[in-house]
Amino acid sequence: MTMQDRGELSEIATDGSGAPVANPWWRNRVRVPGLDRFSGLYILAAVLVIFAFTIPGLFFTTDNLRNLGASEAVTAVLALGLILPLAAGVFDLSVAAIMGLSEVIAISGQSHGYNPVLSCVAAVVACAVVGVVNGIIVVRLHVNSFIATLGMSSILVAATYWVCNGGQEIVNGVSTGFTSFGTDQWLGIPSSIYFMVVLGIIIWFVLRFRPVGRYLYAVGGNATGARLAGVRVNRLIFGSLVISGTVAGLAGVLLAAQLGVGDPTAGPPYLLPAFTAVFLGATQITRLRRPNVIGTIFAIYVLAVGVNGLQLAGAPSYINDLFNGAALIAAVALAMRVNRSA
Amino acid sequence: MTAVLDARNLSKVFAGQPALAAADLIIEPGEIRALAGANGSGKSTLVKILAGVYEPEPGASLEVAGERVGFGPGNSEAAGLRFVHQDLGVVGSIDTVDNLALGHGYRYMARGAISWSREVAAARDALDRLGYDIDVRRPVAELSLSERTAVAVARALSPRRADPRVLVLDEPTANLSASESQRLFDLMRRVQATGAAILFVSHHFDEIFSIADSVTVIRDGRVIDTRSIGELTEDELVAMVIGKELAAADSAGSRGAGGPVVFEARSVGGASVKGIDLAIHEGEIVGVAGITGSGREELASLLFGSRPRSGDVLVQGRVVDRDRPDLSIAAGIGLVPSDRHQNAAFLEATLRENIGVLGMDAHVDKGVLRAAREKADVQNWLRRLQIRPSRTEAIMGSLSGGNQQKVILSRWLRHRLKVLLLDDPTQGVDVGARAEIHELIVQVAREGMSVLIASSDHEELALLCHRVVIMSRGSTQQTLYAPDVTADHITVCTVSAGGRDTEASPTTDRPTGGRST
Repeated sequence: MTMQDRGELSEIATDGSGAPVANPWWRNRVRVPGLDRFSGLYILAAVLVIFAFTIPGLFFTTDNLRNLGASEAVTAVLALGLILPLAAGVFDLSVAAIMGLSEVIAISGQSHGYNPVLSCVAAVVACAVVGVVNGIIVVRLHVNSFIATLGMSSILVAATYWVCNGGQEIVNGVSTGFTSFGTDQWLGIPSSIYFMVVLGIIIWFVLRFRPVGRYLYAVGGNATGARLAGVRVNRLIFGSLVISGTVAGLAGVLLAAQLGVGDPTAGPPYLLPAFTAVFLGATQITRLRRPNVIGTIFAIYVLAVGVNGLQLAGAPSYINDLFNGAALIAAVALAMRVNRSA
Repeated sequence: MTAVLDARNLSKVFAGQPALAAADLIIEPGEIRALAGANGSGKSTLVKILAGVYEPEPGASLEVAGERVGFGPGNSEAAGLRFVHQDLGVVGSIDTVDNLALGHGYRYMARGAISWSREVAAARDALDRLGYDIDVRRPVAELSLSERTAVAVARALSPRRADPRVLVLDEPTANLSASESQRLFDLMRRVQATGAAILFVSHHFDEIFSIADSVTVIRDGRVIDTRSIGELTEDELVAMVIGKELAAADSAGSRGAGGPVVFEARSVGGASVKGIDLAIHEGEIVGVAGITGSGREELASLLFGSRPRSGDVLVQGRVVDRDRPDLSIAAGIGLVPSDRHQNAAFLEATLRENIGVLGMDAHVDKGVLRAAREKADVQNWLRRLQIRPSRTEAIMGSLSGGNQQKVILSRWLRHRLKVLLLDDPTQGVDVGARAEIHELIVQVAREGMSVLIASSDHEELALLCHRVVIMSRGSTQQTLYAPDVTADHITVCTVSAGGRDTEASPTTDRPTGGRST
């Protein structure tokens, strides 16, 4: 993540017994950014070059890049919240369902005549409460986080449909001020990108410059070891789930502002892209393979640029999922392969 | 007589650095050969070449019972080389019968179905031949460590394409108590009686002297010498392994503890421990010995509060909350737990993060963690404890066991503690690092820290402790004071204190010097 990490690209690794381990000759001699940590950069460069030649008039337009940035900012915000539990080795599979709930509450509140700000606050508070419940289930009831949040996810889908009176889109009574926040620009950049950047900086700062960030990674690395070193493991896991829930709520509000309608099916499809971004991001740029902010945002835009270009070039819409999945597996496999031989 | 194993000119170079240089290893049939060397000396590399995990550099040759054998996992197995690795490779959730089948498949099939009665009988028979009478249908995780080792050995020796000619045991006793090791030695003698040779990798010199016929010493990737045990003293062996005379920790200077009581346990119980009372004075080093199952393994974590306990723990007269490691640390208690990989190390994190996980607040200024300051502080400790590599950003998992343990130790020493609890602190640590760790322990005690060491290594206890508490069946049986604190006395007391491994009791009489508590 930092400059000093980048300075150690080709050092000699050692195995557990202290004996040096073989490096392929080309890793010792050629000091280039490695295929492992920088595979995303290579993919990005290749994709950009291809699009520059094949579809320059479609891809490199301000409108296209602006739309791309804004729509991916929602995924990015969701993924940013997810970094914290994943850093602590805890799964939160309910983030997308939480986001979906927040989306319909934010719209539903307005259609019932409440102030848009109040509606959004209510949506985010509800999501924070869901995060608290997740935390209690995992920490107090000792349910594995994967199972707990999977179950919660299903419950929240039901709640979302309930808010929508059984699954109807909510289209009435949405404030125009609210929807214009979703499309507004400042200095030519969509507002949602500022939102993502500010949140990203906060989480980056916490993970890097606050002790709690290091404690989260310690829990993720070895929860027993962390507890025996005096780290309040349960409190951290609880807190990380509350924050991922709250941030998913914020992502839902952002999504509501962009969509302008309350759509009960809007949230869940974001689950896989958000996880993909964090997992792929953990293999990128940083030397220590951990969920991190810069890698996550980088991964989201590498994938988005690829998908967007392919679609502009005439590929069908399902190419999105295909590209995301293939890129995740390929990038992580490559990182593992180089990691093992290094 | 033709050597059963004749390996010549084994070399292995990693990234330009020789891990093993032109090593020869020749073993006669029926011989028990020990392989000794510090961590990182090339022992594991040699074993892994024989097992076919690593391919040696060109020029190496391998003959088994006079026949030329190529290098590679299939080849060495076909030639009759069998391996039991340190982690045993048994699956805890399934029983002995199934574990044996992992090696050779189910051998008794009738019309496509497994004949369980015959499989069970065969498994029982295989273990019986090793001197173990165990319930072969119990999950292996419920067996004792030496029983699990026996299962792994039985699997390695099971009939396959070739009869087992050489059994390689990689640190089989690393986690065993003294009496369990005795059982394993009995097993090794039974294997030897079948005519197979044994290559036995060990850190414990007393074990090498009690079981091996000869010993090969490796240092810095080179075979230093192979000597018959009869013509060797322990001091000579130590000197061969570390390449210099071992400076014994100066324990005499730290003896005597007339200071105030700092740490007190009042009827502490939990797990298999029943109502222990214990007081440790300022600057005193108290040892805890006991066989497996005596409660010795659980005592340190109970006192620290990482395991649910009954009874009270007091530091300087103040009661410490239970089940809250963070509050124990705040009260001035530290724990270096056993099994550092599971309980202490962050293997994928840097040394700075491993050491800095404690006491991070000291480097927080206006809400921001000052990495540069932390780095300088950690760097200092890496140097002081001579940890290699001494780069703060090195990855913990890349260090040798001894260096990892020193990192864990420096995590605690850096924090100002009143009481340091150590649970098997030199387990799986090479002799050099072991001596350094011992010196550190003596030094912090001299500076006033109260220390408790629970250990299966009785020489370690004898070397360091002012007094040693013997545990048996969950309570303290007796306390040994100087001059009775010797390794032999401790061993005798632990096994004669009414432990369950009565068949392993030494013939020595119970010492008269031990004072009862």
